[in-house]
Amino acid sequence: MAFSATLEETGGDARIFLKGELDAGSAPQFKDAIEQAAAKNPKRLVLFMNELDFMASAGLRILIFAKQKMGQGVDIYVIGSKGPVLNTLEMSGFHRSVYVQDTFTE
Amino acid sequence: MEPLTLPASFDSLSPLRQYVVDAARDAGLSKEATYKLKLIIDEIATNIISYGYGESGLLGDITIDGEVIDNKLRITLQDTGAEFDLSKRELPDEDELSKPLEERDVGGLGIFLTMRDVDIFEYKRIGNRNYNIFEMYIK
Repeated sequence: MAFSATLEETGGDARIFLKGELDAGSAPQFKDAIEQAAAKNPKRLVLFMNELDFMASAGLRILIFAKQKMGQGVDIYVIGSKGPVLNTLEMSGFHRSVYVQDTFTE
Repeated sequence: MEPLTLPASFDSLSPLRQYVVDAARDAGLSKEATYKLKLIIDEIATNIISYGYGESGLLGDITIDGEVIDNKLRITLQDTGAEFDLSKRELPDEDELSKPLEERDVGGLGIFLTMRDVDIFEYKRIGNRNYNIFEMYIK
């Protein structure tokens, strides 16, 4: 399934809705969305992964990029990741650096 | 299944994953093992495209082949990029994996994520051709 990353800004949050399959070919789209979000200096970065069916390490590298670009002061939330995508985040220790939640509370 | 040959570009990752899904379905592999194998093939093909061909300035194809041997599904990737044995790659250790993201090194994550999930891995270089062979038990 084709990948999409849709950015919305609400209050101090940058929200990115990820859909489809995130691989090395689609990762630049995700990176673009992160760069656009970073330009607005959000307080939090909220990534919705409910509809993300596949994530390769190329996706993890963009999360590292996001943290390094936005700095320690911007918390990253990962919402609704499930099954193997969640497993990938946990195996690589990323769940210790981002807030992993089933649903997003304002 | 019939082998499939695709150009070594990121556009080929999606059809390579689809090939794995089809081969896994025919072999009766579990959903969990299918995803793992799909991730392995994606990561290793990405590596071949980026380093085996891209950084070496080489152009070429990747061929994927799936077959059931005894109680295992074997997926073989063939390419003519630079020689690269994944099993000799240094992987991030527990110390690196515990670091916060702002201190992370981006290298080696893909191979780390996949090599621990494959039941059997073998690399061969014959002539100018690399063979990366992955086997998963059908349970």
